[in-house]
Amino acid sequence: MNAIQTESLTKHYGTTVALDALHLSVAPGEVYGYLGPNGAGKTTTIRLLLGLHRPTAGAAQIFGLDAWRDPVAAHRRVAFVAGEPNLWPNLTSAETFAFLARVRGGIDEPYRDVLIERFQLDVDKKVRALSKGNRQKVQLVAAFAGRADLLILDEPTSGLDPLMEMAFRETVREAKERGQAVFLSSHILSEVEAICDRVGILRAGRLVEEGTLAELRHLSARTVEVTFEHEAPDLGGVSGVHVVGAGANAIRAEVTGSMAPLIDALAGHPVVAIESREPSLEEIFLHHYDESDGRVAA
Amino acid sequence: MAGSPLSALARRAFADARVRTMSFALLFFFGAYAQTTGYRAAAPTLADRIEFARNFGANKAVRLLYGEPHDLLTVGGYVGWRIPGLLAVFAAVWGLLGAVRALRAEEDSGRAEIVLAGPVSRRTNFAAAAVAILAGTAVLWQALFLALVAGKLAVGGSAFLALAGVSAVPVFAGVGAVTSQLAPSKRVATGLAAGVLAFAFAVRVIADTADGADWLRWATPLGWIEEMRPFAGERPWVLLLPAVLSVVLFGVAATIMVRRDVGTGLLRSRDTAPPRLALLGSPTQLALRDERGVLVAWLAGVGAFAVIFGVISDSVASGLTENVRRELERFGAGSVVSAEGFIGFGFLFFILAVCVFVCAQLSAARHEEAEQRLETLLALPVSRRGWLFGRLVLAVAGAALIGLVAGVLSWAGAASQGADVSLADLLGAGANTLPPALLFLGLGTLALGVVPRAAVGIAYGLVGTAFLWELLGSLVEAPEWVRTLSPFHDVGLVPGEPFEAVAALVMLVIAAVAGAAGVALFARRDLAGS
Repeated sequence: MNAIQTESLTKHYGTTVALDALHLSVAPGEVYGYLGPNGAGKTTTIRLLLGLHRPTAGAAQIFGLDAWRDPVAAHRRVAFVAGEPNLWPNLTSAETFAFLARVRGGIDEPYRDVLIERFQLDVDKKVRALSKGNRQKVQLVAAFAGRADLLILDEPTSGLDPLMEMAFRETVREAKERGQAVFLSSHILSEVEAICDRVGILRAGRLVEEGTLAELRHLSARTVEVTFEHEAPDLGGVSGVHVVGAGANAIRAEVTGSMAPLIDALAGHPVVAIESREPSLEEIFLHHYDESDGRVAA
Repeated sequence: MAGSPLSALARRAFADARVRTMSFALLFFFGAYAQTTGYRAAAPTLADRIEFARNFGANKAVRLLYGEPHDLLTVGGYVGWRIPGLLAVFAAVWGLLGAVRALRAEEDSGRAEIVLAGPVSRRTNFAAAAVAILAGTAVLWQALFLALVAGKLAVGGSAFLALAGVSAVPVFAGVGAVTSQLAPSKRVATGLAAGVLAFAFAVRVIADTADGADWLRWATPLGWIEEMRPFAGERPWVLLLPAVLSVVLFGVAATIMVRRDVGTGLLRSRDTAPPRLALLGSPTQLALRDERGVLVAWLAGVGAFAVIFGVISDSVASGLTENVRRELERFGAGSVVSAEGFIGFGFLFFILAVCVFVCAQLSAARHEEAEQRLETLLALPVSRRGWLFGRLVLAVAGAALIGLVAGVLSWAGAASQGADVSLADLLGAGANTLPPALLFLGLGTLALGVVPRAAVGIAYGLVGTAFLWELLGSLVEAPEWVRTLSPFHDVGLVPGEPFEAVAALVMLVIAAVAGAAGVALFARRDLAGS
C-alpha cells in the first residue's frame, strides 16, 4: 500500500485552479522531491494531503485512508513540518517537544536527543526568542523523532545554514533506511538531487514531469560543448541539436535524443575538444519554466 | 506634503484603526444623542428636574458610575454629567488600544523593522503614530459634537463638552505609548495600560463617593473631565491638564523609543526557562495554559467590581425614598430599590463582561487558525471537531467561573455590610450570566464556520449592538417587540428581578443550534490563514 496515493486531485479557490488533476504516488521508504516555483501549488497539495483543505475533485489517500474523510487515523502515521514555522511562542523547545509527543502519542526519546544534539538546539529557549531557522529545527526534530511512517515536509530547509542542511540530509537518509517515506517540497535543487529517489515538477497546478533523476536526465537534453581549431561551423540545421551559445571557435548546444547526427555533422571538422554532460536538475527545472509564462524558479 | 514618509505612515496607521475608530464613533454618537433625547423625555419640566436633582445629587451608586453632577436642571448639564462619566472611559480605552497597536504591535510583527530600514527616522515613525491617534481623536470629537448638536444643545457648549469627552484619549494614548516602550509584547503593553486606566477609574470612584475626598478628583485624568464642568459653569483652563500630561507622556515614550533597541522593551522578558510540563497533554490543555493569565485578569477585574457593588448595595437601597423609587422606575431601573435589586442591576454589566469574555476566547481560537498553528495541530491525530469543541468548553468554563466569582464576591461584599441577601440567589445570578454568553458564543461559532476572517468582528459586533440596543431602547422607550430583540433586555436581572426561564431557554436553544451548525461547518471548510 502506498504512503501517498492521489487520484485526479483537484483544488479550485474561486476561479483560480490551484491544483489540476494530480496523480501522485509515493511508496513506503521512498524519498520524493516535489519541485515547483512559488505559487505552483506545492503547499496546496500538502494541505490536501493533510485534509486541511477539501478537494474540489478527486481524492488523496494516506496509507489507504482518505485524507479528507479520515484525517485523524491517517495522521497517526504522518509527521508534518510546516513551511511557516509558527509554533507556540510561550513554550520552550523542550515543552514544544513534550506537547507534540503527547498529542501524537509517543516519541523516540533517545533519537530525539540525538537530533537535538545534531541540530544544536537550546531546548530551554522560548520559541518566541528563536530565529526562523531555529524554529524550523524545532519542527524538524519533533517530526523525525516521532518515527512516523510518512514525513510531509514543506520547504523545511529554507531557513537553515549549510551545516544544518547537511544534518537534515543525514536525518532524511536515516529515515529512509528505517523505511519511512518522505514527501519533500523544496526549492533547493541540490538538496533534492542529493537525497530524493524520485522527483515531480509542478507548474501552475499541473505535474509536468515526474520520474527518477536518471529518467529525467535521459528525457532531457544533454549539454555539449565543442571547441574547434579554427572557426566553428554552423550546426543550426542538424537534427536534435539546438545551439544555445557560440564563441569565436566554440559552440554550446543542447542535444535531445541520439548523439549520432551531431557526431556525423562534426566529422571532417578540426575538433579540439568535446565535452558532454548530463543536464543538472536546475537545467531540467528551468527548462520547464523559462519558456512558457516567464516565471522563474526561486 | 502629501508624499512625505510621515504622512504615508500616519495614513497607514489611521487606516489600520478605521474599524475600531468607526465603531467607537458610532457608539459615541448614539450614546450621546440618546442622553439628550432621553432626559428631555423623562424630565420635561423644571419641576421634574429639581426632583431628579434632589434625589440623585447625593446617590452614591449613581455617583459611582457617573461622578458628581453639577447642574441637572438643564439637558446640557445632565448630558455634561453623564458623558464624562462613562463615555470618557471608552474614549480612554480607544486611546490606549490605538497607541499600543500603532507602536508595540508594529514592532511585534516586525513591520517596524521594515519601515525603519528605509529612509525613515524613529522620530518620524513615532510622530506618525501620534498624528494618526490625533486624527482618530478628531473623528471621535466630531461624533460627539454632531450628536449633541443634533440633540438640540448649544453649539459652543456642545463643542466644549465633546472636547472634554475626548480629553482622556491623548492622555491614555500617551500611557499606551509609554507601556509600549516598557513591555516586550503587545499583550503585556495593553495589560499595563489597562491597569493604569483601572487605577485612574478607581481613584475617580473614591473621589466621587467617599466623604471629603473631593480633592482626589484632581489626581486622575478621569476626574479632570468632571472638573471641566461642561454646561455647568465651564472651566476651559482645565483642558490644559490633559494637554500637558499627554505631551509629557508622549515625550517620555519618544525619548525611550529613540534610545532602545527596536523590537525590545525596557522590561526584559525571560526567554530561557526550565521545562514546565503541566497542561501539555492536549490542544485544549495547551489553550488553557495560554489563556490562564487572561482568565485571572478577568476574574480579578470582575471580582473587584462585584465586591464594590456588594458593599454599596445596602446603603443605596436603604437610602431610597418613595420619590427616588419613582424616578428610578422612569429611568428603567425600577428594580434598584433593594440591595438585591441593586446587585441585579450590577449584574447587567457582569453579563456584558462575560459576553465579551467568550468573544475574546473565540478570538483566541481564531488567532490560532490565522497564525497557522492550527495546521500543525491538525496534522497530528487531532480532529477538527475535537479541537473546536475543546476551545468552546474552555470558553464556557471560563464564563461560568467569572459568573460564579461575580456571584460569590457580590454576596460577600453585601454580607460584610449586613445586607439581607442570600448566597444561593447570587450564585443564581452568576449562573444567569451564561445563557446570553452562550448565545453569543454559539452565534460567533456559526460565523467562524462560515466566514472565518470576519467571525471575531461579528461576535464582538453582535454583543456591542445588543447592549447599545437595550441602552437606547430603554432611553427612548421603544416598543417591547423592538427591545426584545436584545438578549440584554430579555435576561431577567436576577436576583432583583425574576429569572426569565423562557428567555433563557430560547437563548440556550439558539446557542446549541448555532454552535452545533458552526462546529459542523468548521469541520467541512478549508482552514483559513490571516
